[in-house]
Amino acid sequence: MANTVDKAKIKEAAQAKKRETYVPVVPDMQLGFIHNNVDCIGCRACEIACKDKNGLPPGPRFRRVQYVEGGTYPEVYAYKINMSCNHCAEPACLPTCPTGAIFKRQKDGIVDIDSTLCIGCRRCEAACPFGAPQYNPELNIVQKCNMCVDEIDAGRKPYCVMGCMMRVLDIGPIDKLRDGTHETKARAPHESIVRQVKNMADPELTNPSIVFVAHSKGRVK
Amino acid sequence: MTGDAMTTTKDPSAPVDALDLDRRGFLKTAGALTLSAGLAPIVGAEKAEAFAYEPYPRDDDMETVVTSCAHNCGSRHMLVAHKKGDVIVRLSTDDGRYQKDGFFGKDTEEEPQVRACLRGRSYRSRLYSPERLLYPMIRVGARGEGKFKRASWDEALGQIAEKMVYLRNTYGPTALLDQSYAGASYGVLHKSDQIEGLLGRFMGMFGCRTSSWSVPSYQGTTFSSRITYGTIEDGNEDDAFAHSKLIIMWGWNPAYTFHGGNTFYYMRMAKQRGCKFVLVDPQYTDSASAYDAWWIPIRPNTDAAMMAGMAFEIFAKGWHDQNFINRFVQGMDQGTMPFWAKGQESFKDYILGVSDGQPKTPEWAAEICGVSAADIRKLAEMYATTKPAALKASWSPGRNAYGEQYNRMAAALQAMTGNIGILGGCAEGVGKAWHSEAVAYPYDEFANVWYASIKSDRWAHCVLNYPNLKREEIGLWPRNDQLDGVIPNIRGIFWQGSDWLNQLTNINKQLQAIKKLDLIVCMDSTITPSGIWADYLLPVATHFERHDVALPWYKGHYYIHRPKVIQPLGESKTDFQIFTELAYRLGFGPQYNPRATRAYFNDDTAVDEAYLMAWWDKVQHHQHVEMSWEEFKKRGIYKFKLDKPHVAFRDQVEKGMPFQTPSGRIEIFSTVLAQTPDWTKTQYGYPIPAIPKWVEPWESLNSPKTKQFPFHLVTPHPRWRTHSIFNNIPWLRETFEQEVTINASDARKLGIKTGDTVEVWNDRGKCIVPAYVTERCMPGVAVLHEGAWMDLDKDGIDRSGNPDFLTLDEPSPAGAFAYNTILVNIGKTNLAHKPGWDQLSTARSHVFRRDL
Repeated sequence: MANTVDKAKIKEAAQAKKRETYVPVVPDMQLGFIHNNVDCIGCRACEIACKDKNGLPPGPRFRRVQYVEGGTYPEVYAYKINMSCNHCAEPACLPTCPTGAIFKRQKDGIVDIDSTLCIGCRRCEAACPFGAPQYNPELNIVQKCNMCVDEIDAGRKPYCVMGCMMRVLDIGPIDKLRDGTHETKARAPHESIVRQVKNMADPELTNPSIVFVAHSKGRVK
Repeated sequence: MTGDAMTTTKDPSAPVDALDLDRRGFLKTAGALTLSAGLAPIVGAEKAEAFAYEPYPRDDDMETVVTSCAHNCGSRHMLVAHKKGDVIVRLSTDDGRYQKDGFFGKDTEEEPQVRACLRGRSYRSRLYSPERLLYPMIRVGARGEGKFKRASWDEALGQIAEKMVYLRNTYGPTALLDQSYAGASYGVLHKSDQIEGLLGRFMGMFGCRTSSWSVPSYQGTTFSSRITYGTIEDGNEDDAFAHSKLIIMWGWNPAYTFHGGNTFYYMRMAKQRGCKFVLVDPQYTDSASAYDAWWIPIRPNTDAAMMAGMAFEIFAKGWHDQNFINRFVQGMDQGTMPFWAKGQESFKDYILGVSDGQPKTPEWAAEICGVSAADIRKLAEMYATTKPAALKASWSPGRNAYGEQYNRMAAALQAMTGNIGILGGCAEGVGKAWHSEAVAYPYDEFANVWYASIKSDRWAHCVLNYPNLKREEIGLWPRNDQLDGVIPNIRGIFWQGSDWLNQLTNINKQLQAIKKLDLIVCMDSTITPSGIWADYLLPVATHFERHDVALPWYKGHYYIHRPKVIQPLGESKTDFQIFTELAYRLGFGPQYNPRATRAYFNDDTAVDEAYLMAWWDKVQHHQHVEMSWEEFKKRGIYKFKLDKPHVAFRDQVEKGMPFQTPSGRIEIFSTVLAQTPDWTKTQYGYPIPAIPKWVEPWESLNSPKTKQFPFHLVTPHPRWRTHSIFNNIPWLRETFEQEVTINASDARKLGIKTGDTVEVWNDRGKCIVPAYVTERCMPGVAVLHEGAWMDLDKDGIDRSGNPDFLTLDEPSPAGAFAYNTILVNIGKTNLAHKPGWDQLSTARSHVFRRDL
């Protein structure tokens, strides 16, 4: 993409970007993810659904199911942390973009990258504390999860959520996911919600739009 | 125009010409107005947009076709193809919209969505993979060298037909071996089945067929279910699991192997309703973590001993359900022995040591299985006192030397606690549940004709030793004619949707045997490790490229329509087309495919439709379905609504109907086994006790051979392949890799870290694979998943990490493959592992796309 893009337009957009002072978009409603770290079997159907939806080659992985295990035989434990882009309230990637390719939707707070404006500089990749932006060497651009905005706009849910065999991954208005008022199969009624799990970057950095049902060994303090 | 994302913020007063919705032009005007308040709009600034690259086909802009996955995995899920022209652009899965009275998001306990797994979701990558076979090919190099030339269908089929006739006329009716199954062809019409599929019928009608009777996946379990219950339909539907109070996953990993469409999900419901879980397994699996199970690590192959210890405890504490035993069971104790066998050893006699002087106490069992007597007692108490409780005795511990004894012992525990025929209990076993209408292909007296039938993993032994072997060595199935006991003279093999050379035990021995054959035909959609050894490669259309209906494989009560989503790639044909054309060349075309003419080879549309319509007619009548064939085709799925969860043997237990055994009871003491006079004349070949017993396997952590080979290797099914299928899919490759799992303390002793390349070897072979070091595996045990595509180096060492270079081709008496009875040694190596497959340049074909 970057190899065939209109260079004059890139230049123009970059100049426009420089004139701006970055102010985070405050969305009308922020969508976010919920994932149940315990009940997830780690099958990665969500990952493959995402690869297929976005037509990705091997390499970039918009969604990553991370396997965590610990303990000493035979007292062991394991759980999964499933993350793509957290569509942060204050996305660290956005202000780093020199061409203005990264944007946040007013309607639902989804953060996306315009691939026709991306020049593949990979600054956003370095800035994101969660590893969401994925470099695609074939296209020489950075891509990432956009929560399947086409599906959202069609009144449906993203491919990963609709592909989850255990129904442990879902989306919803992040405020309601946080206070437990959003109906979702990802969480059983007795299960509590956390914003952060062990080994995950501090949510204060960017205010990520994701919550978890945490494993007892994955709780932070 | 793909500006949906922005249109919501568009200023309605902006002058947008609907006829000139050029993206850039539009954005310059409307998009500039989306800046936050307080900032002046920048005239002419470029604004970012979703899916800016063109064209981005949205699902709603494309044609939607419901279909399903197709592989031999134990489940079946919906795939929804979104296609443009004749190309599948992406796949989604069931979202509740397609069924009758469906809507987006509908996902009830009664009619859950049947969502595809990672393998199903990766199908597009297989469909358009570089490994697709696109035209017939004929071997030109040495066998196994992988050199082929392109041929016409006429040339390839002409040569095959000629050689078939020659082999039959020269070597007799057993010269051709049927190795079908484990592949990609499971539907009501295009069915590759080990026993009764399209290939078996074709070869039987031709008059030359040696059949392979033992099923690699679960022959020990099948034997147990048939002997104990008289049927393999001993399974509950998956929703029944939601009603258990205790689920013991014995060697069962439903997070990896999906038995039924939603078993894993119903078990999550059970957990939320307070069900407790136990895992008996050498590995702490993802199932253990997801269900928060009590993990009991056990030495491989010693399951029957631990179960005997549990039975002792249950008898000793009087926790057994004597009423249930008296009413439904034969041979649990002396009181339930048949009159003709009074005084023979009952199960309780064996457990208490009445006849052999060895009570099977938890202490006795602990010595063998490595589980403490206290834990055996605790589990026995949990299982016997929690009602209802499901002991799910999976197939994997049955894939062992004397694996049938484990499954039989599990059935004894299920019966003595009265957990059979009740909701929340479990009698599995094989676990086949709801009975589907399974056959749309011609089914007649030729459905399963054979002239010899052998234990499937003994074919190489047979070829290498012919004619100097005894019938029991190859498990020859008895016949009532002059062919009884005649050792087959196997001169050729047909593979249909099967990669058995890569998947059967002791590959090195198979490679010796395969060089002796005169004809090898491989029919598949992609090149496979087996295909490399073929003389003829015939390209088979995938399930996206032919018309069929998908069955739930094992559990689940639904049918999924599988239309011809796209035209077959290249010159590929369906296997039914290929067999029909071959049958015409051999003189029995009209009999083989009664609805077709020879033109079927070029157009199968009308004939396949006719077969499937006739099948739907049976569904409507036998299963009281009112939906029309046309509506079924339009919707793509029919989900049955059951008035209550299907539970095996509910009628027997609630209404007193007889079990399908000779005695009409659950046979812990088997009528058939007790009355077998000469084992060599049976397909088993060797004695099998009439009651379940602990029998020492020929290799285990308890045998002296551990001095030389200290690790017990188990070879479970991977999550990222279906046997060997999907091994070539890059998407799946990057999520998991082939690796041998070992315990951290063992690894420390060997100086091995995660990621080190190691060699795993024994006296049968060697393979090279990276190590994964973890605390989640029992010390002394190694785990290597089956199905990696073998990749031999010049010294005959497998660089891919295929465990079947290490397995022994010695089946258990009842026919169970000994896939998990392997001692090995492990050490670091300088040899390179080959995760890919780089010997296939001559067999690979390029992908071509038609109109996108």
